[in-house]
Amino acid sequence: MSEIKSQQKATVKASSDGKVTVLNPACSSTMAERAPLAPRTFSSLSDKTIFLVDIGWGGPKAGYEVLEIMQGWFARNIPSVTTVLVAKKGSFAADDPELWKRIKAEGDACIIGISC
Amino acid sequence: MSRFAKTLEQLGIPTAPCTAINVREYLTGWDRLYNSGMPLRYTTFPLPIAGASRQVHEMYVNGNDPVTGKPVMHQIVDALTRPLTSDEQSTEPTQAAMEPRLLLPDTEENLQELFKARDWTDYLPVVLPTEERVAGMLKGTSHKPDEVVKTIAWPGGGRRLTVEKVAVCAVMAGAKPEYFPVILATATVAPFGNSTTSMANMIIVNGAIRKEIGMNSGTGAMGPHNRANATIGRTFTLLSKSAGNLHAGVTTFGSLGSNLQYNNCCFAENEEAMPDGWEPLSVQFGYKKGDSVVTLATGWTYLSCAGELVTTYPPQMLIRDYMKSLSGMGSAALLCADPLVAGILHDQGFTTKGSLAQWLSRNVRMPVQQYWGNGIITTAYNNLGLQGLEPYAAWQKLPPDSLMEPFNNPTAINTVVVGGQTNTVWFITDFRVGKGVSIDGWR
Repeated sequence: MSEIKSQQKATVKASSDGKVTVLNPACSSTMAERAPLAPRTFSSLSDKTIFLVDIGWGGPKAGYEVLEIMQGWFARNIPSVTTVLVAKKGSFAADDPELWKRIKAEGDACIIGISC
Repeated sequence: MSRFAKTLEQLGIPTAPCTAINVREYLTGWDRLYNSGMPLRYTTFPLPIAGASRQVHEMYVNGNDPVTGKPVMHQIVDALTRPLTSDEQSTEPTQAAMEPRLLLPDTEENLQELFKARDWTDYLPVVLPTEERVAGMLKGTSHKPDEVVKTIAWPGGGRRLTVEKVAVCAVMAGAKPEYFPVILATATVAPFGNSTTSMANMIIVNGAIRKEIGMNSGTGAMGPHNRANATIGRTFTLLSKSAGNLHAGVTTFGSLGSNLQYNNCCFAENEEAMPDGWEPLSVQFGYKKGDSVVTLATGWTYLSCAGELVTTYPPQMLIRDYMKSLSGMGSAALLCADPLVAGILHDQGFTTKGSLAQWLSRNVRMPVQQYWGNGIITTAYNNLGLQGLEPYAAWQKLPPDSLMEPFNNPTAINTVVVGGQTNTVWFITDFRVGKGVSIDGWR
């Protein structure tokens, strides 16, 4: 390490027009592979089963309560809808493959949130 | 959350994801383009959600989406039933514009403005990274310029952080080539902390390199008084913003922000002034004393004792008292103690750092309702408790006004010795110490 000389305070060598060339600190980003949404095969939610999934952000009185209120809205406005209110397992960031399988097996649609 | 919604959509389940307004632009913009790739049909809610009353939540559900202006529930029904547009069905690949290695030549003044306009800086002047200067910085390591130090996955985009890119930021920060191995080691754990709650980082250096490059572990070590401390810490911020692409309001959302992010509290531990039996922070990760190691800590809260010790109130008591103000998140605490304080704690019977951690773990108590009254705790642990995971399940059953011991894991309570022995002072923080990274491997 002692063999490396400290960087001298280099003056910037400008070209004759007073311009300098510098390296770019930014890195290129790779775009995500495009993924389509699931087809919407029904034009109405009547007689459908909708899972309402709380991811857990903000505790039990946050997203869960909002989804609970949505459940009440469906009961009043589209009474033939069956709603299933669930809390995702683990912390807000943890995956829950069992829940997704259950929704696939038992549900027609899902409302999930609330991301903050 | 977008990955959960994406999983459901890919299982054939129409999904209506809900977001708060603070991250909506990120989810529908950057996250869609660089993370999920999916045009999810978000519904947006105002803030606050956590902490707002049921009456407020009812207003949200019965009201309008603050971005689209449409009634929330009608919008959600629409999201689940309206036929897809051609864009929503598309799988046509897209490519991001590539960042050139060199920027277009320009005057120094214009380049300084460009770097600010691109939000690559901390809005202090930078040393422009000319090829000559970057080549000089690269002499500080044996690693090749095109070697990938890390692929930065957050906040999406898979950016390949090369040795050369790190050198560019090190030049910008005003670092010397001899600091570069430390900087490269910290780059392996980049970018800096990112949360709406405004977390921050601390960079702690151990081992032989501290003296080799003239780092400060004594008087003023945690302040703006040393080039190595200042520029190593500054580099971490500059590369988090530029290469890491963390820009306020676009990809990072700290509501207040953290002033600690100017320098990430970079300092060297004062290993020479430690009492007998107290080991450098790096030793607990399995390194030998003398190995050059850098450790990144992450947290939110940073409290100063304000005044010197008083003999009638031993230091561990006041440290314990101050720790009651921490959230208890992850049982984490990091004590930054002047060597004089370390010596007194040693004389009090804390012959190792671990023995102090054990004592604090048993003796810091706070009201249960205070613990669960912090959103960071309820967000992280409430569901775990409801699902029966201990200790959270037991803690949820405690009476709200009873006392609990939230720092239940003594190994998450750490101490570093730092300072110049001008007074018996200390700081207590909630910073969680990460795993130490070898600097020697980057020489």
